[in-house]
Amino acid sequence: MLESTIPLLLPGLPTLGAIAIGLLPANLPHGRCAMPRVCALVVMLAVLALVVRIFLYDSPAETALLDFNLPWMPSLGINLHLGVDGCNFYLVLLSALLFPVVLGCTWNAAESRRPLYLALMLLLQASLLGMFLSQNLVLLFVFWEAVLIPISVLIFVFGGERRRQAATAFFLYTLAGSVLLLAAVIALGVACLRQTGAWSFELNVLLGTRLDWGMQLFVFTAIMLACAVKCPLVPFHSWLPLAYSEAPASASALMAGALSKMGAFGMLKLAVPFAPDAALASAPYIVCVAVASILYGAILALRQENYKLLVAYSSLSHMGYIVLGIFSFQQTSLHGSMLQMLSHGIAVAGLFLLLGAVEQRMGRTYAQVHALAVATPRLAVVLMLFVLTSLALPLTSGFTAEFLILFGAFTQGLNAWHAHEGPLLIVVALLASTGIVVGAAYMLRFARAIMFGKAADTMPLRDLCPREMVSLAPLLLLILWIGIAPTAIMDKARSVASQLSGTAAVAAQHLSALASATADTAGTHGD
Amino acid sequence: MAIDLLYGLLAEHLLVVLLLVLMLLEMLKAGGPRAAAVLGVLVLVAGCAVLLRQYSQGYAVDLVPEEIRIDRFTVLAKLVILACGLLFSVTFAASATCKSVFLVCASLLGALLVMDSAGFISLFIGIEMLSLPAFALMVRGAGATVASEAAFKYLLLSSIATALILFGIAFAYGSSGTLSIGAFAHAAAAGSSQDVAGTVLVASGLFLKAAVFPFHGWAPDAYGGAALPVTSFLASIVKGTVFLTLVRIFGNVALDSATASSIALLAVLSIFYGNFAAIQQRTFKKLLAYSSIAHAGYMLFAFVDVTGHRMDDLLWYVFIYAVAVISACASFSILCPRERDDVQSLDGAFRSHPAAALVFGAALLSLAGLPPLPGFFAKLLVFRSVIASGYLGLASIAFIGSFIGITYYLSLFFRLFAASSQSVEVESNRSETR
Repeated sequence: MLESTIPLLLPGLPTLGAIAIGLLPANLPHGRCAMPRVCALVVMLAVLALVVRIFLYDSPAETALLDFNLPWMPSLGINLHLGVDGCNFYLVLLSALLFPVVLGCTWNAAESRRPLYLALMLLLQASLLGMFLSQNLVLLFVFWEAVLIPISVLIFVFGGERRRQAATAFFLYTLAGSVLLLAAVIALGVACLRQTGAWSFELNVLLGTRLDWGMQLFVFTAIMLACAVKCPLVPFHSWLPLAYSEAPASASALMAGALSKMGAFGMLKLAVPFAPDAALASAPYIVCVAVASILYGAILALRQENYKLLVAYSSLSHMGYIVLGIFSFQQTSLHGSMLQMLSHGIAVAGLFLLLGAVEQRMGRTYAQVHALAVATPRLAVVLMLFVLTSLALPLTSGFTAEFLILFGAFTQGLNAWHAHEGPLLIVVALLASTGIVVGAAYMLRFARAIMFGKAADTMPLRDLCPREMVSLAPLLLLILWIGIAPTAIMDKARSVASQLSGTAAVAAQHLSALASATADTAGTHGD
Repeated sequence: MAIDLLYGLLAEHLLVVLLLVLMLLEMLKAGGPRAAAVLGVLVLVAGCAVLLRQYSQGYAVDLVPEEIRIDRFTVLAKLVILACGLLFSVTFAASATCKSVFLVCASLLGALLVMDSAGFISLFIGIEMLSLPAFALMVRGAGATVASEAAFKYLLLSSIATALILFGIAFAYGSSGTLSIGAFAHAAAAGSSQDVAGTVLVASGLFLKAAVFPFHGWAPDAYGGAALPVTSFLASIVKGTVFLTLVRIFGNVALDSATASSIALLAVLSIFYGNFAAIQQRTFKKLLAYSSIAHAGYMLFAFVDVTGHRMDDLLWYVFIYAVAVISACASFSILCPRERDDVQSLDGAFRSHPAAALVFGAALLSLAGLPPLPGFFAKLLVFRSVIASGYLGLASIAFIGSFIGITYYLSLFFRLFAASSQSVEVESNRSETR
């Protein structure tokens, strides 16, 4: 009984928490002014505890119980269907982990005292978890768009100088990407209606419908546009620099860490399974776009002086690896992408949080800080660990993930070359590997600029206090654990990775059968 | 039969009694505006209760053959209208007077009569009873010249619409020999030339009343010139009732493809025109007017449906849209008192009135069609029917149009959270001393 309500509690608890914080009286007496923050932290830790409990389930039979299905609008086929499966497990863990870490690091910031900020964070967590857990397409779309409202208000109210442009640009650009997504969702429902005679938006029912080529192309294009803007991928990335630099540090950490993974998740869960033929046919183009993202983000990061923009462009680059891994359609690379979603989410969130900590200590002049290794050694060590994860040093999670992606891409590229389908994937994998070298270059340049150099003669900075160390500890532990002994975590998603690559293999057979059939008829007509 | 006459039309009878009582109170100068508002709310609650009971019983009766018929759509539509009327009366109770309650309830009575109708005579009477009190409502209230100019424009164009409807009814009677609405709908779907002329005229008249593009010209001036409660009544209940009238006429009958395509085209044009024009507006009432033109486009789009969901989709859409408009106007009147209309007075409203600002923000996002608010589900229902009827391309274009509309709702929504200049100085001081 209890297991099936866990997927409902995961987005439900933060929503209730947000409402509770909203109802707390506005002017609390001095001794109680930490109450909203404590309330928010308790809710976030409760969600994390539930997720850790899910993690401890070992057998697939037990995980299958984690499914909550409530008919909501039966005539339309929209159910409140939330469930944990291998596809969303890493992302649920990421969403549950990042929020208490962010709140712990920014506990003393001015914005954390405002109930509006805490309520918005909790609503953001609820929408994120709801989106990752959804097993019904309309419910997924509802949460996909519902995420935008809290994050935009967070940027608008608590951001930097150009926060108004940043919030508006972020909201409208992301929404523009998902304009056609609703049309695709309804078109899928109509296809289900035509084939089964009843409306249903359940993902497992929709996966059983056969779509013809034109519909597949439309659905695939619509979903990929929405995801490409969310990730973002070049050339849909123009909102990235403004939004990431003007948002408050906690919002940037959450955007780069969790929200960008929504785009990759959409590709994995929606685009490839619903339109396998279209996905296979457009894989060469998308892989080129992915590697363009990798190189473009890396080169732009190489010339950045602004630390936040540097990390933002590095995020753009790393999302390219994830997309490359997905569209190589090889089991190893698919698994690597899912792991990279988790690893990159942790690393980039850590980077933004530490930059935020420095900004909190120094105010607006944080951009000129350097020689942190002398002034704040603990902060420098932690920062260096996140930098090493970002540049994929072995024994960190970044290496595990990126190695799997590149290994899978190379393997698939070699297979394609032996099957005389051209060297494109091999070339792409080679270029992506050079992206790692450029990644090392800009990350090490960033580390040298901010941590080393002559010690400044301004007033000394406070080092990381125990509270911040405790908040960042889970991230560091997870990075090292995935880097050193990844098998335990990887087992959770192994079946999904093989299933997705299986779908792609079936689609490949289907497409080659179609191609040979048309070649045969062309041959017989020609005779 | 007599019991059916009493019970079936019980809501209307209650409203008639209320109107008589209010007239008496006004003549005797007894009771005040407070008593009138309370009476109005009580009668509307009673009406809603009666209709709920009728719905749960599945009540349906043919009271006057070919003239007054009560079926499931009737009961639901009357429930929607009375519920929105109740919400309106409760939220604007502070500014109610005996005369305004009288006029609002007379208008609601006309709306209920339209929903009962199965023949054109009662439909026509209902439509006129819906619009006539609105003229009087518009003249009372804000500055005399502005309001009476707006009322005059509304009166003139509403009369033209009435003339068009009458002309169309005449054509319909000429070709089919009966004034029954059911026969009209089937003849319209079949389509001889006289039927087509009748359909086009009646539809044009109703489109003019509903302010669909290109019959929209009167709406911004009329809505902008009236006082805020009157504007919210016009934009929500009157507009919704006109669309429900169209549903009453056409039912779930599938229109032929030429009619459906032209309706779809008008709908898409309305959506684009309303959303584009609203972006530049700096006053709330005119912005509401243009956004209501866009929403008329969404509601009109539901008429191309061939899957038989038109009635349910529009009932939901009208209800959700009317509730959103009334909530938005009511909270706007709290956030910007003393009849100030410009949107700049919304800046920083969340700090001073958090609850009203949240309601206003939720109503705006519901009108914009953003999940998880009800407005999204209303749009989902309409577009589901449209796409299932095969209009995927036009629906995609309409989605693009609705995206354009989100920009101005978003700018209003963000204004609520904008820091006023005072708090910005405090923030910058705090960061410098850290």
